[in-house]
Amino acid sequence: MSEIDSLRPLAAVLLPALGILTIVASHRRPNVREGFTILTALATFGVVASLVPAALSGTVHVSRLGTFVPGIELTLRADPLGMIFALLASTLWLVTSFYSIGYMRGLDEHSQTRYFAAFAGSVGAALGVAFASNLVALYVFYELLTVATYPLVAHDESDEARAAGRKYLTYTFGGGVAVLAGTVLVFWTTGTVAFTPGGIADLATTDPMVARAAFALLAGGFGVKAALIPVHSWLPDAMVAPTPVSGLLHAVAVVKSGVFGIARVVLDVFGPETVSQLGVGLPLASIAAVTIVVSSVIALRQDNLKRRLAYSTISQLSYIVLGLGLLSPAALIGGLLHIPAHAFMKLTLFFCAGAIHVETHTDDISDMAGIGRRMPLTMAAFGVASLGMAGLPLLAGFVSKWYLLIGSIDGGNAIFALVLLTSGLLNIGYFWPVVYQAFFQTPEDSDAKPLVEFPLGGARLAADGGERVDEAEGDDAAADGETEGAAAESSEDEIDPDVPIDTAGRVEPDVEPSESEGQVEIDARVEGDYAVDRNPSDHLGSDVGEAVDEQTESAHSDDSGRGVDEHDHGEHGEHDEHGEHDGHDHHHGGPPASGWERRGFGEESTWFMLGPITVAVAGAVALGIAPRAMVFLALVQRVVADATGVVF
Amino acid sequence: MTDAIALLVVVPIVLALAPIAFGRLWDRTGWLAALLAGLAHLGLALVVAATVFSTGRFTYAVGNYRPPFGIELVADGVSATLALLVSIVTLAVVVYARRAGPDTNEFYSGLLILTAGISGVFVTGDLFNLYVFIEITGLATYALVATGRSPAAALSSLKYLLVGTIGASLYLLGVGYLYISTGTLNMADLAATIPEVGYDSPLILTGFGLIVVGLAVKAALFPLHTWQPDAYADSPDSVTAYISALVSTAAAYALFRVIYAVFTPAFDAATPFALDALVILASVSVVVGSVLAVLQSDLKRMLAYSSVAQFGLIVAGFAVANATAVTGGLIHLVGHAIMKAGLFVGVGALAGVAGGRTVDDFAGVADRAPVTSAAFAILAFALVGVPPAVGFAGKWHIVLGAVEGGRWGVAVVAVVSTLLTLAYFARVVERMYFRDAAAEPAGDADGPPVDAPATDGALASDGGSGGSGVDVDPDDDASVTPEDGDGSAPDASAVSIEAKAVVVAAAVGAVVLGLFATDLVSVFEPVLEVYFE
Repeated sequence: MSEIDSLRPLAAVLLPALGILTIVASHRRPNVREGFTILTALATFGVVASLVPAALSGTVHVSRLGTFVPGIELTLRADPLGMIFALLASTLWLVTSFYSIGYMRGLDEHSQTRYFAAFAGSVGAALGVAFASNLVALYVFYELLTVATYPLVAHDESDEARAAGRKYLTYTFGGGVAVLAGTVLVFWTTGTVAFTPGGIADLATTDPMVARAAFALLAGGFGVKAALIPVHSWLPDAMVAPTPVSGLLHAVAVVKSGVFGIARVVLDVFGPETVSQLGVGLPLASIAAVTIVVSSVIALRQDNLKRRLAYSTISQLSYIVLGLGLLSPAALIGGLLHIPAHAFMKLTLFFCAGAIHVETHTDDISDMAGIGRRMPLTMAAFGVASLGMAGLPLLAGFVSKWYLLIGSIDGGNAIFALVLLTSGLLNIGYFWPVVYQAFFQTPEDSDAKPLVEFPLGGARLAADGGERVDEAEGDDAAADGETEGAAAESSEDEIDPDVPIDTAGRVEPDVEPSESEGQVEIDARVEGDYAVDRNPSDHLGSDVGEAVDEQTESAHSDDSGRGVDEHDHGEHGEHDEHGEHDGHDHHHGGPPASGWERRGFGEESTWFMLGPITVAVAGAVALGIAPRAMVFLALVQRVVADATGVVF
Repeated sequence: MTDAIALLVVVPIVLALAPIAFGRLWDRTGWLAALLAGLAHLGLALVVAATVFSTGRFTYAVGNYRPPFGIELVADGVSATLALLVSIVTLAVVVYARRAGPDTNEFYSGLLILTAGISGVFVTGDLFNLYVFIEITGLATYALVATGRSPAAALSSLKYLLVGTIGASLYLLGVGYLYISTGTLNMADLAATIPEVGYDSPLILTGFGLIVVGLAVKAALFPLHTWQPDAYADSPDSVTAYISALVSTAAAYALFRVIYAVFTPAFDAATPFALDALVILASVSVVVGSVLAVLQSDLKRMLAYSSVAQFGLIVAGFAVANATAVTGGLIHLVGHAIMKAGLFVGVGALAGVAGGRTVDDFAGVADRAPVTSAAFAILAFALVGVPPAVGFAGKWHIVLGAVEGGRWGVAVVAVVSTLLTLAYFARVVERMYFRDAAAEPAGDADGPPVDAPATDGALASDGGSGGSGVDVDPDDDASVTPEDGDGSAPDASAVSIEAKAVVVAAAVGAVVLGLFATDLVSVFEPVLEVYFE
């Protein structure tokens, strides 16, 4: 592996720092300021991308900044492992920058200058983590990352945000302290802390207890940011941060810096061989396995979408740690490949959660029934990404999981394969209800979520809350609907309970359509109102209903398509009518009283948000379809080849 | 050129007379004299440093009386660095005091006498002469603390006088024991004669104990720190900045010289329990000082207890007794002086804006004084030990040295001190940035900018110049602009340019020094090589 003295790794770290200055300097002109953010992100991405060919061909660009403390150089090296993280962070920063603009302006947030400046600082520190050439340099940027992210966590300036900020600082500085202690131990025993592919040789021959202690301190310290389970609880709390922060930093840059630190420790400090000699790989993998399962189970019970995503992140990060703990080459590849795979998918999910928040101020999954008609593109992306999370083929999550499965069986630890498969099921368990209810249910008629709403152990619902009563009525109607089928008339009396719910929505259109619609239309509505009750579905199609069809073609056709799925309601006309109301009257935000408004693809939000969502989900799909065409797999294979000597 | 080392002491003492002699002619004589003395001191310190760096350690016999009978001044890498530190801190404090006061000629006289005393501590090579300079330092400090002019300041000064005198007396008693047993007072000479008397001689051991305890009082290690929080809290901001940066530093430096130049590591090898005791004292000081700092609501008291903890860390580094840890102690000695002076100036400056100096008063102050607040936050995180600032460099060496020396307790305490320091700084930074000035609003973006200046004006009881910022811009940072514009107005509710410059310079200095910590190490290295050959 040849080395070239180059300023490019340094430039990648300094550009965001420079970006902070320009962002702060232009704080009075938001457009210029955001321009600088984009420009900086673009330049940083360009610099990092220009390093890729060299890293793939085995050449390493090195920026030497001199000695930091005696015996330790502050050097930045763009080696393949670092490139994985750097490329990921800089690519997704560019994407997230656009999204941030849409998000922050969409919500008219305060202190945007501080936000964008801290964001640039965080990414700069993350790039420093990626390119650091030894443990001390890594520690330097790791701590800077903590500090730079703190203003973002506490951004909201509410009590909750401040508490989350405190917790964040306490946890991550606590982890930093452990890392520092481990670093000192390594330096003391070997006299060096420089990253060496395959491990520092002296560590293999040193006192195993000291080496184990150093490994425990380092892995434990980095494990805080990687959110391993006893030290994970800062992450869900940090979700109080603006969603782009949760997306890029708390699913990609910050948490991955922890994972990346563990990767450095396993691959470049101890080396896979020494790790397995010391017998510390299996405990690490076990902690990861426990984290995977337990946090997935916790995720099942989170009703706040971002918290559910946070627990999903905790679970998925441990996929990577699991791969690093299993140590077999395939597992290493799977673990490392999951760094970008998870990043693209989770970023998509967070972007979707953020878009929903900006557009509708909805945060809880229980309020999201039927939101697919309001935000079709967003929820479609969400669906794709969540399938990827579960590890379905042709999506990013599958490739890495495939390697992980092979790796765990190779290593003779089939139990971990079982954990991975269980986790896939749990993923479906906590993501599918979100997607399902978004597309196939409406706010008025959605199933109870037993795991979220009921006490553990599954007590039967008691009539203690309004929602439950509605639920019970809905069940009644559903039961009736199934039996009635063709005999619609007889069901009239039974359907009545549903009518009062909808009347609120039905009164409004009489006022509103006068601007845009003719008298016929209003008649159609009024007629339809009663017609539905008398003759479902056929009446609309015959005379006045045609006017409706002309005006809201797409809405109607979709609805009749939906009608098939809505077999549990059995009342097509009613639903047609209802969908059409949504299309016209629901212009205000928030969980609506009259169901979700229908919007087409791309009309649901600004392209500042939809664009990044599309790019992120496209990345997730591309990684799944053509993993080799994306550079990440090539980089990962080179890293593993350097560390273990096994070439794939 | 070697005369420069004597002039480091002489120039400030002589110029200290100027404010008294000519103060009646012109009000600003004192300030001008202090500025001149500071500049002259800087020039002299640079000359000394240049000589040391080109030719190595040199000595100067005062009045041409040769040691061991005459008084010897010694310049080496450590003392030259600290002399430079004195110049820089003096200049910074003089600049800051121009606006912040106390603007009396007596204050500047006292300050210059203090400068002379501290410089003397750093350059002397004689144990008794060290006592003299420690006493000069002490007496000048008692007077400066009392310039606060409040009853509380007088009480604090008296308290400091009593405790400090006891400390100095213990030190003198210890020197007396050494003199009885060896017949010499010159440090280098003592290092040679003490082994002849025997390290286990009761006289030597008692002398060591008395000297260390006496200096520990001056350095304010727990439980001998009780004078220090009051003295720091009740003296004027300029005085606090100065004494927090240099007075305890001088005592800790004296401790370093006594342990290594007088008693040498061989003493440690012969009687390990002596330094063991000091290690324990210092470690306890780190923990207890931090805990007490967390409990404070007054920021100056908080920073004062922080000094107790930080000096615990420094002395722990000295007491570990290997080159790495001692290097760490010295780096932290220098770094702490810069950071703590900057922090105290920051508290003084921001207190004017915030209308008080309790932790809660500082809520939302970052919006009104962004530059100073940012520098304050950088200094806070630097002291926490976030790399690449100098706080990390010191801590790294201390931890590494402790591990090398097998002092696991010190290693753990030093590492955990990061979290302890964070515990008291995080809440301040959080309030500065993420809480609004009004009592308990639940963090709305639009409320605070309206009523914050009102609160401020009421507390500071002068026209709210910061209140003109009408927050039209969706971006909060806009409310910052009037503050920037008014920076030069002599108004308690705005940060003066001098204060801002000093705090920012301290922040930049802390980071730059951290980046060049290697050079600092290479400056200290030849000195320590002699001790640990």
